[in-house]
Amino acid sequence: MRRFEDKVALITGAATGIGGIVRDVYCMGADVVGVLDPLRFGDPRGGKGQQVISIARGVVEGIAQYGNPLGVPNLGGDIVFDSGYDENCLVNVVAVGLVRQSRILRSRVPSDAADRPYKMILVGKPTDDSGFGGAAFASEDLAGEEEANRGAVQVPDPFLKRVLSEANKKVLELAWRRGVVVGFKDLGAGGIACVTSEMAHAGGFGVNIDLDRVSLAIGQYSPAVVSCSETQERYCLAVPDEIVDEVLGIYNEDFELPHIYHGAGAAVIGEVTGDGVYRIMSGGETLCEAPVDVITTGISYDRSRKSRRRIFEEPEFDPDRSIHDDFLTLLSSPNIASKNFVYHRYDSEVQGRAVVRPGEADAGVIAPLPGRSVGLAFSVDGNPFYGIIDPYQGGALAMCEAARNVAAVGGIPSAVTDCLNYGNPEVEEIFWEFAEGVRGIGDACRGIGLISHEGSPIPVVSGNVSFYNQGESGRSIPPSPIVACVGVVEDYSRSRSIRFKDEGDVLYLVGEPLDELGGGEYYRVIYGTLGANVPEADFLRERAQMRTVIDMHNHGWVRACHDVSHGGLITALAGMMIGENGGGSLGFTLNLDVFNGCGLGPETILFSETGVFIVELPGGIERDVLALCARNRVKLFKLGSLVSRPGLEVTAGGARLAAWDHGELQEAFMTGCRWIFGIERNE
Amino acid sequence: MAGIFDGKVAIIQFPGVNCEYETAAAAMSVGLEAGIFRWNDDPALLDACTAVVLPGGFSYQDRIRAGVVASKDRIMDKVSELAAAGRPVLGICNGAQVLVESGLIPGIHWERIDLALAPNVMSDREGYYCRWVFLRKEESGCMWTGSFSEAEVIPVPIAHAEGRFITNDELLAELKTNGQIVLRYCDHRGKITGTFPVNPNGSMENMAGVCNREGNVLALMPHPERATWLRQVPEDLPGAWGRKRRRAAGDPGAMEAEGPGQAFFSSLLLHAEADPSAPGGGIGKGGEG
Repeated sequence: MRRFEDKVALITGAATGIGGIVRDVYCMGADVVGVLDPLRFGDPRGGKGQQVISIARGVVEGIAQYGNPLGVPNLGGDIVFDSGYDENCLVNVVAVGLVRQSRILRSRVPSDAADRPYKMILVGKPTDDSGFGGAAFASEDLAGEEEANRGAVQVPDPFLKRVLSEANKKVLELAWRRGVVVGFKDLGAGGIACVTSEMAHAGGFGVNIDLDRVSLAIGQYSPAVVSCSETQERYCLAVPDEIVDEVLGIYNEDFELPHIYHGAGAAVIGEVTGDGVYRIMSGGETLCEAPVDVITTGISYDRSRKSRRRIFEEPEFDPDRSIHDDFLTLLSSPNIASKNFVYHRYDSEVQGRAVVRPGEADAGVIAPLPGRSVGLAFSVDGNPFYGIIDPYQGGALAMCEAARNVAAVGGIPSAVTDCLNYGNPEVEEIFWEFAEGVRGIGDACRGIGLISHEGSPIPVVSGNVSFYNQGESGRSIPPSPIVACVGVVEDYSRSRSIRFKDEGDVLYLVGEPLDELGGGEYYRVIYGTLGANVPEADFLRERAQMRTVIDMHNHGWVRACHDVSHGGLITALAGMMIGENGGGSLGFTLNLDVFNGCGLGPETILFSETGVFIVELPGGIERDVLALCARNRVKLFKLGSLVSRPGLEVTAGGARLAAWDHGELQEAFMTGCRWIFGIERNE
Repeated sequence: MAGIFDGKVAIIQFPGVNCEYETAAAAMSVGLEAGIFRWNDDPALLDACTAVVLPGGFSYQDRIRAGVVASKDRIMDKVSELAAAGRPVLGICNGAQVLVESGLIPGIHWERIDLALAPNVMSDREGYYCRWVFLRKEESGCMWTGSFSEAEVIPVPIAHAEGRFITNDELLAELKTNGQIVLRYCDHRGKITGTFPVNPNGSMENMAGVCNREGNVLALMPHPERATWLRQVPEDLPGAWGRKRRRAAGDPGAMEAEGPGQAFFSSLLLHAEADPSAPGGGIGKGGEG
């Protein structure tokens, strides 16, 4: 996962974010099968509203302009708006690849280089000065000098990347056919200097790099720029001499890189040595000569931390407020209303593997192996408001919800990656937020564990840390750990959309709602406060609930499943009634009497964000359902049956508390944040 | 080298296309053989292919405008030659843009560009749009829809920023007379209305697929290769295909059944089998319609 602060050029910035992360996955020899984009923007109605709106539109455009030509489907993502991001938005990108285990490539000079000569090949876009100093820029406060920083954003090119990917496939096929091992790494931060020294160091070798052999874009560049610029769309390969000519031929002749893109191509830029020394030459002079481990060894910091003392309070419910009106306000608010028109800007169909598209269910699902029933489910999550109240819960709940979303389509949460976005770590309270978030994610991964392997934690396979997310005022963003979870689905044909399916089916709640509205959308939108009672991650309860829902899928019972999260139970029910693209035709009456034993008031039950699941199951299997829940020790509430009249109703003690017709709910949900993205009229 | 595309569907890989593999898989789903032809491979390799498919993507980065650079590529001379000899040619999305830019579609006047695929016009938004839409098969002798029933309605996804077929009134009348308007955007019941979102890009007469007079060349904006198996159909879709998809839930075998877009490739198979002696089967049955 990678994050990019959109400080300079929105469209190229967002595109660069995708480009870099996708290359990271390609260079392992994998096919990239999907990307997901969690986005965080400022308050579109706040003082910087106009700027926030133009940033949001620019970022979406950037993702579309880059991602669509790439031929990688968009599988999901989310958008959260809050004034805490007014000065510093977040564009995180997750890329998922598929690779046969025996064919994983390493980003290092292979050990075979001890026995036979290896060359270093640079391929891709001609090197220019773009992104020079970028590694440093990514972690600097923005001083408002936007113009002075221009040039720091690299110009990505999905077209060239697509052609490179095709050529790379042929190169890797050649290597496998000839039985030789190659090293493969993309160029990111630090450019040629970083990629070559890191590959050499990882393999235990040295390298000699000759900058005169690097293909340059038009212009004059100093050796420092050539070695460290972050020009996009470049890869470095360590290749044994015997196939060097064939590799160059694939790039330069078969795929005509120099012909289809000015200055692009592949060239040998150096050779592997056994002396463990890193040398850069230019114009016959040696510019750098140092032991490679000196160059690549990181710096270790010891930061101090201090917990933040802030008092949070719960608001008093106002008995004169109308649940009917408040819910429509909530449903049309920016963080709740449908973003489906954003998904329609992205290609989620390319590669032909999509089974559940973005927004159709809690997680996107693909069928990666045609003819096989196995599916893969993907989700990203991270609610910044929980972390403001309690940064530990912020991390833990991001993980819990990402896993929950995957379980909601029947997937076993199997691996996670994270992007840890925080402010200036030199501030003790910020570093404390960071440390707490990491602790929360770690505890959740261990606490929930692999449902398929009792006692094993869910592995965190990669990740990224982004500090110094603050703007001119020095105000940091809210703690924003974002977690992406991959789930393995036994049978993708059982992964259903969230929309209500059949009249007479029964809705159940798996898990018990608690008094946990803190950091929730109801408090924020209706009472203008965060509250205090943030959901408390209970890993064993989460695990039992997830296992139950996955079991229900594996029994073939589930007609629809949706987790309760932002906006609570009633928001989840509305989402199921309407469906992601609108047009649902069934209705439901929620009788709050089923929660009589919980000791909670109606607002609490309707809007609490305790992580539970709503499942739609066929009638006639109640005994089996009860037995399953008893076995897994989870609380189960039978909510009632779906009716043919579309709409939602809430009753308690025989009285009707609120009722909404289908039209008003659909209008609120489907059109609530269109204005932010410049969508003018209803469909 | 000669012969590797003999009897196969050749999927032309211009630099920047990105649907070549799933398009090949879709052709193979009906039992045809398919292979990926890199744009600078020897054109003579195509002489005995069954059909040519130009897949979707962003050939040559959509430089100048979508499809135009690829339409000038050397390989298109061979594609024109094969098309003129009656060989089936299908352009999907960007491939449709290439066929229009090369003048093969509508092909009424030799090598004249009579149609355009202009930027989408939508009532409330602009730019790239990816969504499932519905198509109705019109009366036409197009070889690529030979296995469709009359007025059949199928869902398929679109994904493009420039998919609005436009031309002048005179030519439009001629397209209708010749039966060259093969598929039109409609709702799930087959009703055609010109407004968004039923017409997703503002295309004249809701045109989604246009063929040449002979019926062997089709420019199709939607992506049938993304609707080749039932598993690819979204379960919330209205209409018969959505219902069929929901009924298949829980049965991975049923998910591998044919999807609505497979019919284009079954049509090709039908055509190839009708006259197996000729490369690519018999000549298009369209005529003047």
